[in-house]
Amino acid sequence: MIKYTNYLTTTYGQPEGWKLPAYEKLCHGYDTARKVLTTMTREAVVDEAKKANLRGRGGAGFPMGVKWSFMRPHPTKPAYLVVNADEGEPGTHKDRTIMEKNPHSVVEGCLIACYGIGAHVAYIYVRDELHLAKRRLEEAIAEARARGFVGKTPFGSSYPVEVYVHTGAGAYICGEETSMLNSLEGKRGEPRLKPPFPAQAGSFGCPTTVNNLETIAAVPTMFNLGCDAFSKMSALHDMKDGGVRLFGVNGHVKKPQIIELAVGVTIREMIYDIGGGVLGDKDVLAVIPGGSSTPILRPQETVHAPDEKNPMHPWHGKSVFDVPLGVDTMRGVGTMLGTCCVTVMAEGTDPVLAFQNLMQFYKHESCGQCTPCREGSGWLDRTLKKILAGKASMKELDDLSDIASNIMGNTICAFGEGTAMPAMGFLQKFRPELEAYVRGEKKGKDARLTVSFEASEQAAE
Amino acid sequence: MPTFKLDDKTIPFEPGDTIIQAAHKQGIEIPHYCWHPGLSIAANCRMCLVEILPAKDQRPLTLDILEWDPVAKDYRAVKKPKLQPACQFAATENMEVLSDLSDHVKKARAAVQEFLLLNHPVDCPICDQAGECKLQDYWLEHQKTQKRMLDEPVHKPKAVSFGPTIVYDAERCVMCTRCIRFFDEVAHDPVLDMRERGNLNEIFVAPGRQLDNKYTYMADWVCPVGALTTKDFRFKARVWFLRSVKSVCQGCATGCNTYLDYDSRFNRTYRYRPRENEAVNKYWMCDDGMVSYKAAHEDRVLEPRVEGKTSSLGVALEAAKKKLDGVPRDSIAIVYSAQHSLEDNWALRELGKTLIETDRAFWSGAPDGYEDKILIHKDKNPNTAGVKQLVESAKPFSALVEGLASGAIKHVIALGGATPSTKEEADAAATALGKAETINTNPTHHGALTQAAAIVLPASSWAEASGTYVNFKGIRQQSDKAIESQGSSKPAWQQIGLLARALGYEASWTKLRDIRTRLSGLGEGNAPVHTTITDPHSTEAP
Repeated sequence: MIKYTNYLTTTYGQPEGWKLPAYEKLCHGYDTARKVLTTMTREAVVDEAKKANLRGRGGAGFPMGVKWSFMRPHPTKPAYLVVNADEGEPGTHKDRTIMEKNPHSVVEGCLIACYGIGAHVAYIYVRDELHLAKRRLEEAIAEARARGFVGKTPFGSSYPVEVYVHTGAGAYICGEETSMLNSLEGKRGEPRLKPPFPAQAGSFGCPTTVNNLETIAAVPTMFNLGCDAFSKMSALHDMKDGGVRLFGVNGHVKKPQIIELAVGVTIREMIYDIGGGVLGDKDVLAVIPGGSSTPILRPQETVHAPDEKNPMHPWHGKSVFDVPLGVDTMRGVGTMLGTCCVTVMAEGTDPVLAFQNLMQFYKHESCGQCTPCREGSGWLDRTLKKILAGKASMKELDDLSDIASNIMGNTICAFGEGTAMPAMGFLQKFRPELEAYVRGEKKGKDARLTVSFEASEQAAE
Repeated sequence: MPTFKLDDKTIPFEPGDTIIQAAHKQGIEIPHYCWHPGLSIAANCRMCLVEILPAKDQRPLTLDILEWDPVAKDYRAVKKPKLQPACQFAATENMEVLSDLSDHVKKARAAVQEFLLLNHPVDCPICDQAGECKLQDYWLEHQKTQKRMLDEPVHKPKAVSFGPTIVYDAERCVMCTRCIRFFDEVAHDPVLDMRERGNLNEIFVAPGRQLDNKYTYMADWVCPVGALTTKDFRFKARVWFLRSVKSVCQGCATGCNTYLDYDSRFNRTYRYRPRENEAVNKYWMCDDGMVSYKAAHEDRVLEPRVEGKTSSLGVALEAAKKKLDGVPRDSIAIVYSAQHSLEDNWALRELGKTLIETDRAFWSGAPDGYEDKILIHKDKNPNTAGVKQLVESAKPFSALVEGLASGAIKHVIALGGATPSTKEEADAAATALGKAETINTNPTHHGALTQAAAIVLPASSWAEASGTYVNFKGIRQQSDKAIESQGSSKPAWQQIGLLARALGYEASWTKLRDIRTRLSGLGEGNAPVHTTITDPHSTEAP
């Protein structure tokens, strides 16, 4: 069910929409933060936030309010808010639009979140390559500081908040929260061992909340509408998956874009209504629902949940493309919601080349700290390259599932799962195509990730 | 003490212990590369993964994996439990942990082994670590399968000189980061780090630096594989030809516990290996100590000498008798040596105090030197505390020099060859020693005393004789005999016995056991006695 909303994206496309005057005119300015910081208690902020049922927008889908409630005041140490804007997941491009087009929502979100978790400093960790995003954020912070919203006494309250932009150095792994904290501290970007979790010992050893940038940007909207009302906009409110969020569609669709919708839209709607259909009106080969780490889905897959108690039962027998995109629903169909940016592959895309492409990415981005991920990701990529080159044996193809299974769950951070899960998905769903390469029926030089779409181009003209 | 179950054994633990720590204390080893009892936890090798059974009211944490079914020609979705690293997971009361008994754990270990060897050159025939390499041991214990990946492995820098002592081979490295953590946490010189990422990772030395602090040899010893080797030992010996004894480093008063590795075929020492002793050196040793195994062969006095001329033992003893017969006992000084064992010094005390009955007691040793707050003690003698326990009245060497200069002392019976002094003091000592009518010494090595001595009876070094040493904390430690005595040297306590008999006294000791029995009461009440706590797991003899 598509329900268009326009809270996070109000300023998108507006003249100088990233500046404070536009934000004040179109988005209640900093009124929400003013109200929260001057009238609410810290505990009330966290309690209210819990009602929003906002599942973390970074991919893991952890309830934001619950995460905030983990923060306990430390007798000697300060607390920090770290905003994860190291958006590097292939196929994901939503946070960047917020930073570029609505940076003030992030700054205002930081103010409220800092107040809620008891922090006085927020670091926004931005991926190095996003130069415009960094500039817009910095400008927004400067504007807010000039007006006294950020600084020693925001809105005349006695709750100082500082917001800083920190730049990464171009490593996908620094999007992992503890790796990001290491990088923020100037250390090598390697994930930390957990426990302790960031809420106990995060940045600089102090209690820290790490939230995705979109999560933080949604906070002013949440508090402005009332968190319960915010949650109820979602079709999955009952599954505690509330609110509105940015959805993306990319790949072989006619209108790849980022759009704000209430939670509850299906993959099919994303492809045909939001994305405008597949290029050249071809059939869909497969869809990666939310960033490259989420296992691939094929149109012929159906939900199997005959048990009435199963939360997936309402969709029993239906195509997975007709299941609303939600944290728990996607888990129910054997994949993950991830970042909600749907990557569509049209018929004609070579799944083996796509598979190898992803594994090359994971091999390149593995930090190399722990053994299974360091060696396993390289091995997967190497074998897939051999398969594409027609040099692999069937035995080597058979081994791939074992390699992926040996990475799964045996690593320090979720990167291992992020590599193994899509690998297992491709293996399970594209075995015949892989075998065709091994048998020499297909050649790597003919493999394409792009599809020809002259027909649709002509139609559009 | 609370306990938990590891396989079918009950393991007690202190609150805060991790599973691997608690098991280690009970002498049970959970396989590991990156964990080291003396370093922080990295949990990066993933070799110590264990299965923790869910508590009664807990849902098991499982993961979906895929198995290829070659018969059905299809994938089969299966579940496996989430395994936990034993080095990181804290032990809790009544927890049930499966290690060797879990098939999932066995599979995970075999997988980690396979991953580690994936890009490893497997150049064991030319690797110095071969024979004491964890990759080899664990391959045999946990993998035993052939390599599935038959392509060219990833190539990385080889034979990189890290500094004056250490060579690095990135292809053999398992990236356990023990070396990085050692120099950061123990040596307090964070000179190593990791660069690149993924399977191109390598250890490197900080730009502008060399690995040149006082603890570089430990890089070799914390390294579980052949990635870091010492230039000193490289290509010198195969470890399976070496034998080991428990030894005590002679370099300073800390008395680090070591294994002394030697080849009995050539009667040569080859290296030291640190031996775990929580009360003394924990798991470490300094570079000066690590190379001091060479002292068994360098600068040694191996033949008896009379007036500077090499002679036989009989001639030397005869000469001693002639020189010392009938001289007033007041003119004889006894010089103990902080470089010698308690046994040697005890024998000298028997000769000097009981038989000759002189009260003139002095002690000698090596001069003070560099010290730090980690292991290195400024007193460069292994047994100063022992000599002081044995002969409380012994005066410093400078007093002997004064006695000789004034003419009060004319004869010296000494242990050892070194003298504690600066350049000026050394000159004064040499002049004074020159005035002595007789110097009879039992040295292991050359030194001022040996130089000046009329009669030299060569003593066996610590490597050639069992001996007891008291470190600066008062801990009494035994060092065992490795190689056979070289040349005509004999243990000093034996030489002194021969000298006593030559001088016409009845020496009451003929065996080391005689002396040890008589020594047993020494130092009791004021210091811990013989607390050599050795650990069989981390630094076992090959």
